[in-house]
Amino acid sequence: MKIVIKGLEVWYDSIQALRDASLEINEGELTFIIGPNGAGKSTLLKTIALIIKPKVGVIYIDGKALSKFSLKELSKILAYVDYQISKSLPSTVFEFLLTARYPHQNMLTFSMSQEDLEIVDKISKQLNISHLLDRKLDQLSSGELQRVLIARAFIQGSKVLLLDEPSAFLDLKYKLEILDLVKKFTKINRSICIIAIHDLYLASLYADKVVIMSNGEIVAVGRPREIFREDLLEKVYGVKTHILDINGRIAVIPLEPLNKMEL
Amino acid sequence: MAIPLYERRLKRFFYLLILFIILVFIVSISSLSIGPAMLDPIKVLQALAFKLLGRDVGGLIDVVAKLRLARTLASIFCGASLALAGLLMQTITRNPLADPYIFGLSSTALTALALGIILAPDLMIQRVYVVTISFIGAMIGFTLTLLLSKLGGGSDIAMVLAGIAVASLFGGVSHILLYIVQSMTKVPYMYLLMGTVSTTLWGDVQLLIPLIIVPITLSLALFKPLNAYLYGDEFAKQLGFNPASIRIFTASISAFLTATTIAFIGVVGFIGLVAPHIARFFVGIDHKFSIPTTIFIGALLTLIADIIVKAISIFIGGLGELPLGVVTAVIGAPFLSYLVIKRMRR
Repeated sequence: MKIVIKGLEVWYDSIQALRDASLEINEGELTFIIGPNGAGKSTLLKTIALIIKPKVGVIYIDGKALSKFSLKELSKILAYVDYQISKSLPSTVFEFLLTARYPHQNMLTFSMSQEDLEIVDKISKQLNISHLLDRKLDQLSSGELQRVLIARAFIQGSKVLLLDEPSAFLDLKYKLEILDLVKKFTKINRSICIIAIHDLYLASLYADKVVIMSNGEIVAVGRPREIFREDLLEKVYGVKTHILDINGRIAVIPLEPLNKMEL
Repeated sequence: MAIPLYERRLKRFFYLLILFIILVFIVSISSLSIGPAMLDPIKVLQALAFKLLGRDVGGLIDVVAKLRLARTLASIFCGASLALAGLLMQTITRNPLADPYIFGLSSTALTALALGIILAPDLMIQRVYVVTISFIGAMIGFTLTLLLSKLGGGSDIAMVLAGIAVASLFGGVSHILLYIVQSMTKVPYMYLLMGTVSTTLWGDVQLLIPLIIVPITLSLALFKPLNAYLYGDEFAKQLGFNPASIRIFTASISAFLTATTIAFIGVVGFIGLVAPHIARFFVGIDHKFSIPTTIFIGALLTLIADIIVKAISIFIGGLGELPLGVVTAVIGAPFLSYLVIKRMRR
């Protein structure tokens, strides 16, 4: 499986959110998208998820243009995870997770198959949410909800996993455990995983490929070592940094902003 | 963990369903027995059984039960219809406070109906036209409320306020129009305005039942898209369902159910608000469980409300009966207050 993005341009009314974005993503690779606020990370993910329609440009999944896929076909291969989930009529975690099997079922099938239930069971154990199945979505902590949302994407069994800030509300342990699991999942299933993230250290720990964005443009693509350079980060983030090498891993230490805010 | 949990839920649903069917049956028999002439419930049951077997029942029971059966069946089906209309509205607006009456659909449907009777009284003899006109009215009301709430920020409470504005305006307009209708048809318009099942005829019921069964079946078939829709438009899309089509289709079913009950029994509020909440409390949010449960609870509530109407008229012995909508409002409005308080506190 392979995703090829060619010359994407996205506009929100009169504001351009993506400029001429082109990118190639291979299976089995964990791709991290980094960049300052408003760089276009989420927009890029949402465009791949077909939630936003690009004005110009094409996205190919295995050579087939994304716009040629029906919603139903896409639901079997693609899952996008972010926080925008409605809880105004709160369901239980279990009810929520069961919906993730719908793409693989006939619309009128009343009962859940044994196989579907086993998948839900297995994934909820892996993400340590088995004890939450009976709880309502609006009674979860942000970290618990985050795990439930990621579990949904796994249960859907999609080959393309798009995660928007998956570690935002997780504590240190879950940040590492979940990204670790995502990495294993991607390697074993030979799937594609694209993660938009603010935490540069996590990106350097787990990324096979890093995409750095600024102002709606893809500035550079490469291995963590090629992207986490003091000059590049200073240019994109406007922050002086110092790069440390810890056990063969790169840690970015922010020093000071180039322009200080005046009081 | 997941498998026993699922089996437990399934079992619970079937037990509750059986319980509700039995309850509806018992309350229906009581409803048939209660009236100006009190009947022995066992004799009513006997008469019903004989009737089904095609044997002659004879006597007072036959006459009375025949008259009352139409009324009881109208309560069951209109209650089921209103409850389902409410559940569907709550899902597509993702608003637990939605109800055809609160959101103004009932008032606009009634206004359309009154306009129809005034402008084309010949057409209104046929029920098909009555239902169609009332459906158009209900759709207009729903659209107006949603547009108005969007202008007001689109929050849950804004939606309720927009509904109250639409309901009040068209409630007033329909009052005026129905006053004119009253002079034409000589039927007290209070009944159309606040609903009653007391005037339902046997012929009405025969038409009413299929008109309600079909939308119920359609909404049951939609349980998966509706479940996915609850979590947001983007989420529904990701599971392969088009949220805009779900919205339009379900809104139409909901408006049709509302319009049908109004065309037959008039405006009855709050059943659509209360029944889905009770159902979700018992069986959760999954529509494959909540739709059947809501239908039975709606039928049960309406039957009970109608029994109260009958009981009041027997004990007080005033002129005629109270409208059904008065009783459901007295039961339902405190429930709405409770929901509003719960929501605003959060």
